[in-house]
Order: sequence, then C-alpha cells, then structure tokens
Amino acid sequence: MSPRNKFWWFAAVSIAITLIIISSLFILFWHQLSLEEKSLLISIFKQDFVYIFSAAFLLLAGLGFALDAIFNVYIIPTSKLVEETSLITSVNPSHRISIEGSKDIMRLIQIINEWADRYEELQKNIDQKIHIAKAKSEEEKNILAAIMSELPEGLVICNAEGRIILYSKKAKEFLAEANTIGFPGYKTESGSGRSLIGDQDKFIGLGRSIFNVIDKNLITHSLDEIADQLKHKQTNVASYFVIVGKWNKLLRAEVVPILSHLKKFTGFIIIFNDISQQIETDRRINSLFQSLTKSIRSSLTGIRSTIEAILEYPDMDKEQLQQFRKIIHKESIILGDILDKTVSDYSINVKTQWPLFPMLDSDLACSIKTKAAEKLGLIINIEKSNEKNWIKVDAYSIIFAMLFVLNKLKSKTEHREFTCKLERKGQFINFDYIWQGDPIKIETLREWGKHVLIINNEEVSMTLKEVISHHNAEIWSHSCNNTIDTVQKRSYLRLFLPAVETFERDDIRNITILPESRPEFYDFDMFNQPGQSPEMDDRLLTEITFAVFDTETTGLDPTGGDKIISIASVRLVNGRLLQDECFDQFVDPERSLPFESTQIHGIQPEMLKGQPTIDKVLPLFHRFAGDTVLVAHNAAFDMRMLQIYEAKTGVKFINPVLDTLLLSAVVHPAQQDHTLEAIAGRLGVSIVGRHTALGDAIATGEIFIKLIPLLAKMGIYTLKEARKASRKTYYSRIKY
Amino acid sequence: MNYEFSKKILIVDDEPSVAVPLQFLMEQNNYNVMAASNGEEAIDKISKFKPDLILLDIIHPGFDGFEICQMVRENPEWQNIKIILVTTQVRDVDIAKGMAFGADAYIAKPFSNAQIMKQVKKLLQCN
Repeated sequence: MSPRNKFWWFAAVSIAITLIIISSLFILFWHQLSLEEKSLLISIFKQDFVYIFSAAFLLLAGLGFALDAIFNVYIIPTSKLVEETSLITSVNPSHRISIEGSKDIMRLIQIINEWADRYEELQKNIDQKIHIAKAKSEEEKNILAAIMSELPEGLVICNAEGRIILYSKKAKEFLAEANTIGFPGYKTESGSGRSLIGDQDKFIGLGRSIFNVIDKNLITHSLDEIADQLKHKQTNVASYFVIVGKWNKLLRAEVVPILSHLKKFTGFIIIFNDISQQIETDRRINSLFQSLTKSIRSSLTGIRSTIEAILEYPDMDKEQLQQFRKIIHKESIILGDILDKTVSDYSINVKTQWPLFPMLDSDLACSIKTKAAEKLGLIINIEKSNEKNWIKVDAYSIIFAMLFVLNKLKSKTEHREFTCKLERKGQFINFDYIWQGDPIKIETLREWGKHVLIINNEEVSMTLKEVISHHNAEIWSHSCNNTIDTVQKRSYLRLFLPAVETFERDDIRNITILPESRPEFYDFDMFNQPGQSPEMDDRLLTEITFAVFDTETTGLDPTGGDKIISIASVRLVNGRLLQDECFDQFVDPERSLPFESTQIHGIQPEMLKGQPTIDKVLPLFHRFAGDTVLVAHNAAFDMRMLQIYEAKTGVKFINPVLDTLLLSAVVHPAQQDHTLEAIAGRLGVSIVGRHTALGDAIATGEIFIKLIPLLAKMGIYTLKEARKASRKTYYSRIKY
Repeated sequence: MNYEFSKKILIVDDEPSVAVPLQFLMEQNNYNVMAASNGEEAIDKISKFKPDLILLDIIHPGFDGFEICQMVRENPEWQNIKIILVTTQVRDVDIAKGMAFGADAYIAKPFSNAQIMKQVKKLLQCN
C-alpha cells in the first residue's frame, strides 16, 4: 500500500474512533438528564440547528485541511527522505535530496545533504585507497587474464558440476558451433563487427554447463579414467579424447583434474589443441610413403625377375633378351621418376605447411633492398606506386629467395645497382628488378630454380622453385624494350606475386592490452557455487545467474498483432554483467513497421530486410537463456510478447522472472516514477543506447545489480522473497 | 614342348614388366601360361583356360585381386584352382585379408624367381 493510502486509512479510522467516543459520551450524558432538561436541550438544538451544523461542518473541514497539510508537509517528505537517504548510504552516494516540505524538514534535508557531501568525499578517499591497494594484485590478475585470452590452446576450467568458471578466447573460437540455421544477413544490430555469442548455436560462457558443447558421456568417461588414475596414486593424471569443433576442426582435448589441498576433486581443466593440420600432414606423408613403396616394389619386381631370368637362362633367344633389357631400362627410368616425384610431393605436402602472412608489397621491397645492401652490397632504387597492395608471404623465405636471385643477377650482369619497380597488374603484383642489358635466359632461370638457396654460407633448405611455388608466384626475365642497341636495352627480372584483396585480420594476433578492470571471463569465486540443481527459489539473488533481456516491438499491443523486431540479452553472473556474452538480434516481423514505433527505437524497415524470422531467433534465445532467471524492465510486457509466439515456435520460457519495475517499487514505494530513465537517474546508472534492445537490456542489468543490496536492506535475499515482494506492489496489477 | 599334359598357369598383372618375365619363367619351367591384364579378362580366361594356378596381382583395372579370389572360391567348378597373390601390398592386414578371401599363398613384390617357383611347384604338387 502506498504511503498516501496508508495515511488516509489511518486518518479515517482515527476520526471514526473519535466520533464513536464522542457519541458514547453524549449518550451517557443524555441518560442522566431529566425530561425538562432534555426538552430544553432539544428546543435549543432545533432553534440553533443551523449554527450547530455549520460549526460541526467547519470543524471537520478544518480538521481535513489540517491533516492534508500535515500529510504533504511532514508525512510524504519524511517518507521520501527515508528512501532518498537510504539511496545515498547504499548505491548512489552522489544522490542529493531535493524535496519540498516544512521548514523543519527543509532544514533536515540541508543537514543530510551536507552530511552526504562529507560522506561522499570520505568514501571517495576510502575508494581511492582501496583502489591503490588492489591495483597490484589486479595487475597480476590482468596479466594472467591477458595471457589466458591470447593462449594458442583453447582452455576451459569447470567446477565439479561441469559449470564453466573460466575460458580462453581460443576455446570459444574452437567450440562455439557455427550457426547452422542458414539465413542470409544474420548479423549484429550494433554493426560493430563484434563477434557475439548470440550468433552461435552452441553457447560457451561463465556459469554455463560444458555439457552444452561437449557430449557429457565423453567428459564423464575422462573423469572416470582420472578417478581411476588418482586411485592408483599416479602422478601425471590426465585423460584425452578427440572431438570435432567449429568448422569441422579436429580438436584433441586433454582433461586435467583440479584437486583441493585435501586432494578432493573440485573441478577440471580441458585443454584443446587443433590437430587437423597435424593429422592432414601425417595423412599426406603416410600416403606419400605408401605410394612410394608400392611403386618401388612394382618396378623392382620387374627388374629383379628380368635380371634373374637373364642370369638363369643365358641361352635365351636374342629377341627375348632384348625385350628383357628394355624392361630393365624402362623400370630404371620409372624408379628415377618416382624418386623425383616423391621429393617434389614431399616439398609441396610437408615443407609447404609453412603459413603465409599478410604484408604490404612496399614493405617487402624495402626489406629486400635493406638486406641486399647488407649481404650483397647492392643498391636497389625502389619505384613504387601510391597504391597500397597486400600480399601473403613467408617473409623469411621469399626475401632469401630474392636475395639469391639478385646475387645470381649480380654475377650474371655485373651490375651493382638495380631499379625495383612495383606495379599492380590485375590480381598480381609485379616486382621488376631492372638493369641495362640483355634479359636472363629461360634455361638459366630454370637452372637457378633447382638450386637450394645459399648465400654466404647461410642456407634455406628449399630450392628457389619450391619457395616460388609455395607462394603461388612466378619468376621470369624479359626485355623492357625491343631495341637491339645494347646501350639502350633494358631488361627486367619479374617476381609475380598474387595480391590479397583484404587480408583476414584473424591471422594477426591482437596487441595485448591489459584491461583496466578484471576481464569478464574470470571468476574464481564460482568454485564455491552450489550444485547445479538446488531449489532455485531458495538461492540468494547474489548467487543466481540471470539473463537480463529486452525486446523492441512494432507497437505496445501484443495481443493486437504487434510483433518483436529486436531482442537482446546479457548475462549477469556473480553480480557482474558479462557484456561479452550477449545475444543481440534483429527479427523480421513479417509485417509493416509503424512510423510511430520507428520514431521511438530508430529501427528502419530496411534494417529488418533479410533478418531471420522469430521462429528462427526464439529457439536460439531460448538456448542462450538456458536455465537462468530472466530479468526485464516491465517484464510482463516482454513475457507476454514471448508467450504470443509459443504456439508458432514451440518455444516456451519457463524460467523464473524478475521485473526491475516492480523491484524498484518495492525498494522505493514513495516514488511515483518507475520508468527505466527515472530508476537509472535515482541509482546513478547511465543508459547508453536507450530504446535499443541491447542498450536497454544492459541498463536494466545495471539497475538490477544496484537493486540487489537495497532489497537486502529490506530483508529480501532470495529469489522467492523478491518475487513475493514484487507481487505485493501496486504495479504488479498491470496486465498485458 | 608338350603343353597338353602340363599344368596351366594364369598370370594376372597389368604391369608388362612384371607379367612378361613371369610368363617367360613359367614357360621355361614347362607350364602352360596365359596372361591377363585386368579383372574382367582374368575371369574370362579362368572360365575358358581353366588354370591350375593363378598368379594374381591385387591392384589392377576392373575387379581387384580380392574380388577375383572371392569369385573363384564361390564357384564350385573352380575350387581346385590354386591362387598365389603377388602384390605390392604387404601389410599384415592385406595378407590376412588375402588369405581370408581364399588365397593359398601370398608373395610380396619384389620376389626372386626361385622364391616364386618354389611356391608354384609346391602348390601344384599338392594339386
């Protein structure tokens, strides 16, 4: 009940009791009077009825006005004063009270605000000291976090129940299954290119079960193996299995237990390594070996049988002998070819596993220039275009190969200075090394191609041809002009490298920047989390995993045909919003978008073209939400929206729900305004992206985090208590 | 040379450099020899030539050596034909597979003439 209602109920009851007492006294007094006295009083009452009635009416009216004044000047301000003072002492020390009231109340407010200034300053000082004290340990944590996030291995740490308490960036890349629902234009609302977990079919995140991404039986089997090893007191305890990850990559998983100081099993680590490449290389080598042995065996059989026949039957006729000689000759040639082919296949299949990395053509030319000056004493003048072209190279081997060529060129042409001209021709980049004189003959270049690269005792164990073919490149020489005058004649040696339009940034490791705050995928406190299936209702709000969500719609009438056009959610684990683990998706509403709604959320109809329909999005969101508790602002509306789609999508959200609107009314009953903006303003939360689903979901999450300690002050700790308190509030009567 | 009463050998190999010296060797040892270079030709010659022994390579065009082996063993009229698998496939599993399909012997390439003659004579004597 609101303070206003409570006050007027109290006033009405007080007046009624007063009237009953006065009436009782009057009746007692009346019975003690004689008949004459009674008739005298009646005659006086009749005679002065108008005056008596007027006096009574004025008295009651005066009483009413006095009560109203007391209510507005003392009762309401006092009630608000309590709530707002509580705000200052709990979640928003910057909040200042600005309430109208009596002189005494105003004086009290002034004192409280002055005290709040001092309190805020004091708290800032304390916070600063705490911040400094924490900085050192945080720095260590952040270094660890940065290392973890850049580890080449995928790493997931789980508690004993299989809940993820830590994961590395690589693990997310390896395990999160690519979206398979196959619709075009499936992208994020933000358009920032951020990789959202919501894009994926399998979710990996803090507090989620690892069994969501890896078959439970596999892990259970590994843990049984580990338990067995521990029983036999083995020192190196681990178990292995192989799974197929994202993009059908083969991942080798190593499971290692985490034991407490009492040797009790408290969790496990899974380390993932991508072994696809290794297996493919092994397969190629094996295939090469098999092919080699079969071919050699076959040829040797012919040679051996034939020679033995010649030896055993020296009198065989000449024709037969000639035929056998031809067989021996043919098979010996085949053996040579087999050897050449094996060497070549080995180079292509094994040596060329070296990856290529993006590089600017001008950077490569400059590197060759510098090295040529250092190692060969050559002067290279670079003529480059203004255009920036990317190529993919193994810088060491290609630079070495070009130095090898330039060294040969130096001997052949006796020039010490060359011009290097960079030019793009279609999909290729020309690196032309120009000199005055005749071009290099094809046979000479072919001969150079067979040589293993050696310069001044430094060697790369590949031939020029191998390096060139590894880069899908070509090399040749030609004259620049058709003149036969040797003085005028200029020639070039061209390295012809394929250009890369846009290189994949994934190939480049990001610079490691230590985050200012603790990275979100860390929370070691979760080791102390309760099991997976305790009674949700009795769990503390501070321990529950929430999915805070919001929807944007075509209008405000779920039953009247309005549809969801955007849905976003962010997970809240251990009192922290995990903004890296969010779901953010536009939805094609399959109906027109009213102009009025566009005015509010800014979503234009063309932004929804090609987006998935709700029957594709809701199952994904359902998996994202999992077994969390849903939180929304004005949740009744959003839940009704979701409910409307139950029949169409077959997706039913049975998760417990909390509403920040109702919870705000629980903690601040004297406040009239419980809009998202008003609550955010009171609690010191700034909203970025109001009326975008993700922006509102994040703001709702931050508000919810601030409401939890305020609820605790009122004795509301568990989910059940929060729901019970919500039900009592006035706003819970709103029905959609 | 009288081939009428001599034993008949069919050589199945698509490599002339293997088949020709083998054929010469067998002929020098007074066997009546025929050669086939693919699976289909081999089956055709088995039914017409009715060999006492087949020197059978595993990998060649058409039916492979294992299939031919199986066909021979499934035909009651060909039960007495001896089969020697002569092949480059020398893994234990290949040998086991060949014997399971009904081969009487397995010779890995490259082999000596003495080695193959010993095996041929041994099997044909049993016959």
